Amino acid sequence: MSQNVAPQSTVSKNSTNQGPPFVDSNTVSKRLQGELMRLMMNPNKEVSAFPEGDNLFKWIATIQGPKETVYESLTYKLSLTFPSGYPYSPPTVKFITECFHPNVDLRGNICLDILAGRWSPLMDVHALLISLQSLLAEPNVSSPLNSEAAQLWPNQVAYKKQLLALYDKANREDKPDTK
Amino acid sequence: MKVKIKKWTGVGTWSYKVDYDNCGICRQPFHGCCPYCKWPGETCPVVWGQCTHCFHIHCMAKWLKAQEPREQCPLCRQKWRYA
Ligand SMILES: [Zn+2]
Ligand SMILES: [Zn+2]
Ligand SMILES: [Zn+2]
Repeated sequence: MSQNVAPQSTVSKNSTNQGPPFVDSNTVSKRLQGELMRLMMNPNKEVSAFPEGDNLFKWIATIQGPKETVYESLTYKLSLTFPSGYPYSPPTVKFITECFHPNVDLRGNICLDILAGRWSPLMDVHALLISLQSLLAEPNVSSPLNSEAAQLWPNQVAYKKQLLALYDKANREDKPDTK
Repeated sequence: MKVKIKKWTGVGTWSYKVDYDNCGICRQPFHGCCPYCKWPGETCPVVWGQCTHCFHIHCMAKWLKAQEPREQCPLCRQKWRYA
């Protein structure tokens, strides 16, 4: 017996399936929560980060100046703002603590390749903070945002003097109560 | 095919461990689906690049779209070509 019914009755249930949505803030929230957990479990306390208030998309990070560099014993606070397309797009990162550095401008903007064109979705907050810490130790003086810092960098003694003077001044202004 | 890294201009340093159990982009295991897959039964296969790195198909598609017009493997930054 012939049974030549065309097998076209399997209605294409895929007609509405355009693939998963590109942006899904719930997924990004979950991702950020996971990263927060891993950061909190990480025994390396030279870098840390925590959401600011209830907003999971805005974090405050702290990095310690790398040891055996002019930045040793200095502490810097940064703000991280995550886009809805994270981790496909990088977070916006700025120094809150004034940072005298060839690749940081006076408003705290940072020139770092991985925060722009060389961002990779394989990076996370921890890797980013470690990169920023190593940027402190190894500035790129050929394309400076702060030319004064770039010019002074080869003279590490003078650089450190200027760095500490500005750091102390900025921290005094932070806490007007202390005399 | 010969691939040469022309220049490494990075000032930051980071390294990523190659992990063959989890997708590096979403951190979810390959035996499951990517975090964007919600419909039961939807397939979320693993795709391989000629550079031998692999990711969930949806994660890689989103990355290719996000970095347009470049098409680089997020791990080795070679031009992404499906293997
Ligand atoms: Zn994935
Ligand atoms: Zn998927
Ligand atoms: Zn690759």
